[in-house]
Amino acid sequence: MQAQATSGPKKKVKSISYSHWGYIFIAPFFITFLIFGLYPIIFTFRTSITDAVGWEKILNNNIIGFENFRQLFDPNSLVYSKFWGSLGNTMIMWFFNFVPQLGLALILASWFTDSRLHLKLQGFYKTTIFMPNIITAATIGMLFMSFFAFPIGPVNTFVQTSGIANMPIEYFRSVAWSRGLISFIQWWMWCGNTMIIMIAGISGINPSLFEAALVDGCTSRQTFWKITLPLIKPILVYNLTTSLVGGLTMFDIPHMMTQGNPNETTNTVARFIYTQGFTGSRNFNMASAASVVLFVIIIAGSLVIRYVLNDHDPKPGKVSGKGAIK
Amino acid sequence: MKKILSLVLALALAIGMMSFATAEDGKIKLVVWSFTNELQGMIEKYYLPNHPELDIEFQIYPTDGNAYTTKVDNTFGANATSDEAPDIFTLEAAFVKHYVESDWTGDLKDIGFTDEELAVAFPVMAQIGQNSAGVQKGLSWQSTPGVLMYRASLAEKYLGVKTPEEMQAKVADWDTFLETAEELKTASNGEVKMIIGSGDIWNAYQYQRSEPWVVDGKLVIDDELLDFEELVKTMEQDDLTHKGGAWSEPWFAGMRGELPTLCYFLPTWGLHYTLKPNCVAGWDAENPDSEENIKKATEEGTYGDWRITDGPVAYSWGGTWMGINAAKAAQADDAKKAAMHDLIKFFTLDDDFLTQYAKDSGDFVGSKAAVDKILAEGGTPNPFLGGQDHYAIFASAAALANGSLMSEYDDTINSLWNDYVTTPYTKGEKDLDTCLTEFKEAVAAAITTITVE
Repeated sequence: MQAQATSGPKKKVKSISYSHWGYIFIAPFFITFLIFGLYPIIFTFRTSITDAVGWEKILNNNIIGFENFRQLFDPNSLVYSKFWGSLGNTMIMWFFNFVPQLGLALILASWFTDSRLHLKLQGFYKTTIFMPNIITAATIGMLFMSFFAFPIGPVNTFVQTSGIANMPIEYFRSVAWSRGLISFIQWWMWCGNTMIIMIAGISGINPSLFEAALVDGCTSRQTFWKITLPLIKPILVYNLTTSLVGGLTMFDIPHMMTQGNPNETTNTVARFIYTQGFTGSRNFNMASAASVVLFVIIIAGSLVIRYVLNDHDPKPGKVSGKGAIK
Repeated sequence: MKKILSLVLALALAIGMMSFATAEDGKIKLVVWSFTNELQGMIEKYYLPNHPELDIEFQIYPTDGNAYTTKVDNTFGANATSDEAPDIFTLEAAFVKHYVESDWTGDLKDIGFTDEELAVAFPVMAQIGQNSAGVQKGLSWQSTPGVLMYRASLAEKYLGVKTPEEMQAKVADWDTFLETAEELKTASNGEVKMIIGSGDIWNAYQYQRSEPWVVDGKLVIDDELLDFEELVKTMEQDDLTHKGGAWSEPWFAGMRGELPTLCYFLPTWGLHYTLKPNCVAGWDAENPDSEENIKKATEEGTYGDWRITDGPVAYSWGGTWMGINAAKAAQADDAKKAAMHDLIKFFTLDDDFLTQYAKDSGDFVGSKAAVDKILAEGGTPNPFLGGQDHYAIFASAAALANGSLMSEYDDTINSLWNDYVTTPYTKGEKDLDTCLTEFKEAVAAAITTITVE
């Protein structure tokens, strides 16, 4: 590819540059991004330092400085405990979703790519595991809501008829159940997606490395820890970062299923932003300020992940670079 | 050649993206927004055939996930006079107050309504369509008074009640309502419950207040609300309800009779669109009036077993109001104003149309005059209610309900009240003072424009 591109035009008398087509082809993305991505971001930053409360003031507002941020960081303000509490809830639910997700996805991915195991019906398993990801989150939220309905619902009927409990259990008034179910759904929905990315990452490793390991008498476990894991670090960074972004902006499942109940223990940051911006008096300024704080937290988190996994030890990065070229 | 082709394609794309909304020559162009196709169907069926001069563009955005309000807010916030913005738009009970309090909706008198015309509407519906200064900004073609619906067979078996009048005496106020619930529990050994859950009472009970949530920019917690908490707590703790939420599976199971429940608090639309289609599993929605369907619903379900009575308090639940875009109405010429006036008047205040519409759809309409006309013609015995005439009972509830109890932030405050007070307090998780403190904090955080003390 590369060779053709550079040597092709040289042979001709008049050099014709096709490079502008490249710009034209990527232009739609950048135009869309500028309008629907960058502009709203700048708008949010601006709104966060204004007194924009209510739609009437969304365009005609006054800049009041960092008052909204002060409130978010002032322990005596009303939004302080709600905002930081929701961040804590989000972290807890993200943690219990992400750790099992990454673990299981890694195990499954290494099984599916293991030439010694050579699993049958791989396509079927992969599809089944990936399937929950293509269903809308809102649908799954509704599904679980009716599963765990109180006092009559499939789960309550089951625990009563099977003798596990003699009274129906009100799952969505229990903090552990509510958070647990949300984490479980997130895990169940995204595990397949993470697995597919991991498989892609592992497939990108030069097979001769695995063959060499096999010849040298490595056990499966050794191959996994010493070859697979170090070589898919870039994929791990990608996965951790996207999961961090997705996890901290978690909204649909808690919003559909619990509305932040019981007692705000499943209220996520995105729900806090939503309730500030789109209920009550529509405090767009506070919602924007919280979004900006969340933005900073996510950037900081992503940088930490990058630093810890990538730049810490330059050696595996080099190897992975080589391994990636087929 | 290629260049020309790509130019043509690009142009076609650009034009396609900008689908212009232009009126046909000489016609009056109106943009109408709604959240269901109900109004569109009504206009197309009853109005457009006689008004060829109109060119109406309908836009429907669902209320799910606040799609409709978000669309309204975005459009009006950006440019209320754009081609896309509505001339006439419908407002649901959940957000009608919010919009009539804003400057976006216009005074109906600006497009030609007079006091005499407005007087025929039921006061409760008219009041809800007014802002706090009393300016009429919205009108409803329906009236949605709420009543108490109960199972005649259960009432007779356990309470010895034979007529709706006797039942009314058992639920005349909330104290007797509670006594009746206890009586029912004893008589049925706890098998039959008075209601499905506390959420059911709320829609009625909030009309027991004397003031809305927000008065002069201040949060008001009416004493009646504290009584409501005590009532609900007693009912929950004494096992007088099935502890299910409204619109949940148990709620519908109770309608089918699978979960024996005596009472439901439902308004007009609840009778036809909620209770009736859910009175039996497998209700035939395609042919609801077919003989087999009625037979099945009567034998396996609760068809014909329901009666209605006023209940402890006259209330209203729901409704759809038609409002006008103030900015566009201000720019409209006289012909367009007259067209808007005529259309809204036809659907909300015209006796002949509303009488006809009530007969065609079974809806309970918003004009007092039309309702009187239907009653004078000899009522509407309803086989679903064992032959009882629902129109008469609805008419008395509609005349009594107090429409001044709704305020702009009801939607937010009601859900906060439920999340922070009713649920934790009645389930015994927290004491009332803690609940009230947390509720006030939540209101103050959500609504920064009102004072909370």
